Amino acid sequence: MRECLAFSCQSRSFQHGFIPGAHLCKRVADRRKNITEKEKMDDQGCPRCKTTKYRNPSLKLMVNVCGHTLCENCVEMLFVRGSGNCVQCDTPLRKSNFRVQLFEDASVDKEVEIRKKVMKIYNMREFDFSTLRDYNDYLEQVEDIVYNLTNNIDVENTKLRMEQYQRENKDTIQRNKAKLTREQEELEELLLLEQQSNEQRRLDVLQEEQRQLQAKRKSKQALLDELEKSQLPATILLAQHKVRAAQLETEIEQQKQNVKPTSLFSTGIQIGQTVSLQPLPKIQEVLYQYKPLQIETYGPAAPDLEQLSRFGYLNHVRAAMPQDTAGGYSSALACYRAIQDAFSGLFPLKD
Amino acid sequence: MHTALVRLWLNSDPFIMPRYVSQAFPLEVTKLIYCSRTVPEIEKVVEELRKLMEFYVKETGEANNFMALSLSSRKNLCIHPEVSSLRFGKEVDGKCHSLTASYVRAQRHSNPNQPVCRFYEEFDAVGRQVPLPPGIYNLDDLKEFGRRKGWCPYYLARYSILHANIVVYSYHYLLDPKIADLVSKELAKKSVVVFDEAHNIDNVCIDSMSVNITRRMLDRCQTNVDTLQNTIQKIKETDAAKLREEYRRLVEGLKEANVARETDIYLANPVLPDEILQEAVPGSIRTAEHFVGFLRRFLEYLKARLRVQHVVQESAPQFLKDIFDKVCIDRKPLRFCAERLQSLLRTLEIADIADFSAVTLISNFATLVSTYSQGFTIIIEPFEDRTPTIANPVLHFSCMDPSIAIKPVFQRFQSVVITSGTLSPLDIYPRILDFRPVTMASFTMTLARTCLCPLIVGRGNDQVALSSKFETREDFAVIRNYGNLLLEMSAVVPDGIVAFFTSYVYMENIVASWYEQGILENIQRNKLIFIETQDAAETSMALEKYQEACENGRGAILLSVARGKVSEGIDFVHHFGRAVIMFGVPYVYTQSRILKARLEYLRDQFQIRENDFLTFDAMRHAAQCVGRAIRGKTDYGLMIFADKRYARADKRGKLPRWIQEHISDGSLNLTVDEAVQLSKHFLRQMAQPFRQEDQLGLSLLTLEQLQSEEMLQKISQIAHQT
Repeated sequence: MRECLAFSCQSRSFQHGFIPGAHLCKRVADRRKNITEKEKMDDQGCPRCKTTKYRNPSLKLMVNVCGHTLCENCVEMLFVRGSGNCVQCDTPLRKSNFRVQLFEDASVDKEVEIRKKVMKIYNMREFDFSTLRDYNDYLEQVEDIVYNLTNNIDVENTKLRMEQYQRENKDTIQRNKAKLTREQEELEELLLLEQQSNEQRRLDVLQEEQRQLQAKRKSKQALLDELEKSQLPATILLAQHKVRAAQLETEIEQQKQNVKPTSLFSTGIQIGQTVSLQPLPKIQEVLYQYKPLQIETYGPAAPDLEQLSRFGYLNHVRAAMPQDTAGGYSSALACYRAIQDAFSGLFPLKD
Repeated sequence: MHTALVRLWLNSDPFIMPRYVSQAFPLEVTKLIYCSRTVPEIEKVVEELRKLMEFYVKETGEANNFMALSLSSRKNLCIHPEVSSLRFGKEVDGKCHSLTASYVRAQRHSNPNQPVCRFYEEFDAVGRQVPLPPGIYNLDDLKEFGRRKGWCPYYLARYSILHANIVVYSYHYLLDPKIADLVSKELAKKSVVVFDEAHNIDNVCIDSMSVNITRRMLDRCQTNVDTLQNTIQKIKETDAAKLREEYRRLVEGLKEANVARETDIYLANPVLPDEILQEAVPGSIRTAEHFVGFLRRFLEYLKARLRVQHVVQESAPQFLKDIFDKVCIDRKPLRFCAERLQSLLRTLEIADIADFSAVTLISNFATLVSTYSQGFTIIIEPFEDRTPTIANPVLHFSCMDPSIAIKPVFQRFQSVVITSGTLSPLDIYPRILDFRPVTMASFTMTLARTCLCPLIVGRGNDQVALSSKFETREDFAVIRNYGNLLLEMSAVVPDGIVAFFTSYVYMENIVASWYEQGILENIQRNKLIFIETQDAAETSMALEKYQEACENGRGAILLSVARGKVSEGIDFVHHFGRAVIMFGVPYVYTQSRILKARLEYLRDQFQIRENDFLTFDAMRHAAQCVGRAIRGKTDYGLMIFADKRYARADKRGKLPRWIQEHISDGSLNLTVDEAVQLSKHFLRQMAQPFRQEDQLGLSLLTLEQLQSEEMLQKISQIAHQT
């Protein structure tokens, strides 16, 4: 039936002989494959009443701790009293433990169930261990326990081991209950960021819309005001308003298009900047030549530093104390400075 | 990192550079890695190179010891009589692996009946000591050499690229993380990498990082996992030591790879980020059974996700959170999934790796999704848009940021050149690939005569606007006018015409109504009609017959599709394509969710407007299509853009410069009549005899002209304008 439908919607193309038909046939074949796949997905069914999803699309499959499937109706019928044994493995089961089967492979449902239970007890985090190696060994141990419980290997011992562990590490378990692993924290953070940026974007768009709406309303109000007050004929005013409205429209349109244009690449280089291939012009530099310093003092020549003590100038200055000389100070320096000050600028200005 | 963006005209041009540069800086530039798109293009490049080298030898009089070779897949290089007769690349790879894997060869020591490949054995025994003699090798040369020596050409080529001066191969050997890791990771840092025909490089990058998962693939994966489990069970009974050895190695951590990366010998692999290699495999997937259980849970989770009734789009962190809630899978083991699977496959000594492609793909997906929190999106579609009644769920894990795949290349090699005949506008490429160009230049063509004639036909003879836009798509008037255009052109243009449509569906519709209106019959009086289809074999048949019809003077029209096989990589030289007609603007299918997500990402991350990108994408494909007609200096061809939207500045401005230059105001909004008149004039002019002397001084230079001061100045002037 379905294949016929698939054919008929293609029939239009089939009328024209020159379009090679091979690829159309292939397409149809592809579809047929899809249909069989769908049927494969549908042939999951209840092992007791043999109903399949294909025959009853609203079929709900349930699974209990033993990992065996039953459909909802059978569960209602068999477990009227609230408890009973599994049809396939005779494990005593409670009705309240039946859940909707999420996965095609019911053993995965069972494993996930067990894993969640185990994880509640074995909830040590990476920072509880001194080395990564220890943590990995611990993870493997947890994995072993889950594997054993799922595949019914050594169940009794494993359960004992779990109980013992639980008793020994009561405090840690209690403490870690509320804590997330580091990776989960990172994930949560990322999700939060994502949410915020989405929210921001939504708000931006909303604001933009609001502003445009306001602008439009304003221009309408302006027109009404003008019609009321102005002396010009109404047709001219209307025409003016039309032009203005069109302008506003194009402006809005442009703003919509304008996603903040960037002028920078992510590396910080300007867009549109072109790099010249020509070599940099070489600048010829002349070597520096020393010239002794010449100072014009506009006064009589002051005595040299060496001459100060000879001429007896130093006798009138406080002698340098030993702690002053540590930094290279001598009384001659201060005296020299004072004499230069006194001598400079003594000659009258020439004009 | 020096990255240049240059547009060059002839394929041989990039080769001029390494010779000059490598002679000037023998220690700085050691190798040229030349990447192109398809095998025919690679072959063409090698042929050009051969000519150039012969010329060098003739002119300089000294034999140079240049070594250049091309590398392709096993399918193109295998000479093993049984393996090479297989039809599909995957089969060849799988069969080859089953004959040459290290443990298969080790088994042969104990069991001489174990089949191995004698070519590989021979190569392994002696091939590595004797380097390939200098010369230029294309794929056939390599096979010939391999046959003569009895060595496997594929492994010979893979080994020889390490000391070859020039390597010519496909983009994927550098960009696809899975292949690059095998082939290119040991290439010298001082190599110069050239990406030719790089106008589509962003799409190549994205494709190499994206994963599509269908229901069928998950079923195949299920069988893979079952096989794995059985093999583990068997090995545990017979040879438990092997698994213990692997376990011990994993406890120690992936140290070996780590050492190699530290010494900077290897090209980084974006799939496996550095920090992973610092750590050991997490304890939860260390033993083989636990890992298989982990895969099983992951697989069941994916299956459950594929059973959706409506489209779901989510980010990688959302996916990770959900997978933890549903099946208790942490992020860390997911990241190690690909590495762990490889290790397991090696340990289990599974000969036919090809069978495990499904589970490998899934594990790659696991690693990618847990590694990158940005730049990727997950879209689950329960059915195709066109067939909403048929369930065909697909999980697209699509990369939106091309810079992720190309980043290791930029980081590793000192010079990267990106070049194509249709990189336009230039400045969008540094933005989408996220790099800093050292120099960008766009060159015009030096032509002795105006050998191309771009015409924009915007109206039919009855003044109906021609356009392929959605509203007028079904309009009979438009379709009729398109038909008239083709009909009248077929009467005027000699030999071959190639017509491009925007999509297969559009082509089917138009051709169907041309048939009803009797236009096809009239066209067939002038020329034969051939049609490209989605089937590769049919298309190559049509192409062959088209060329035959052009060759014998009957004349032919090839109806094909932009973005199809014909539009890229197939040349219509001289009489094979005297006119190219582009019906409509080849916009990509804009309703696709993957495209929408990518546009959004481009807008948010790179500030590229949606319309800008769509137009850019459409115009690069249009330019690629019409560029098929002119493949040399003596060639000539009409380029007809049959859509009024091409006349707008935003579209026209995005055509490459060498086409834009020839669009005058007079050829902007033509009717069909006017276009026919102009083409008649153009074709008559072009049909005049064209001698080599006419080109001298313009597009062909004698030695004296080349050395003259004036010409050198002119060349440097052209080179500096951007």
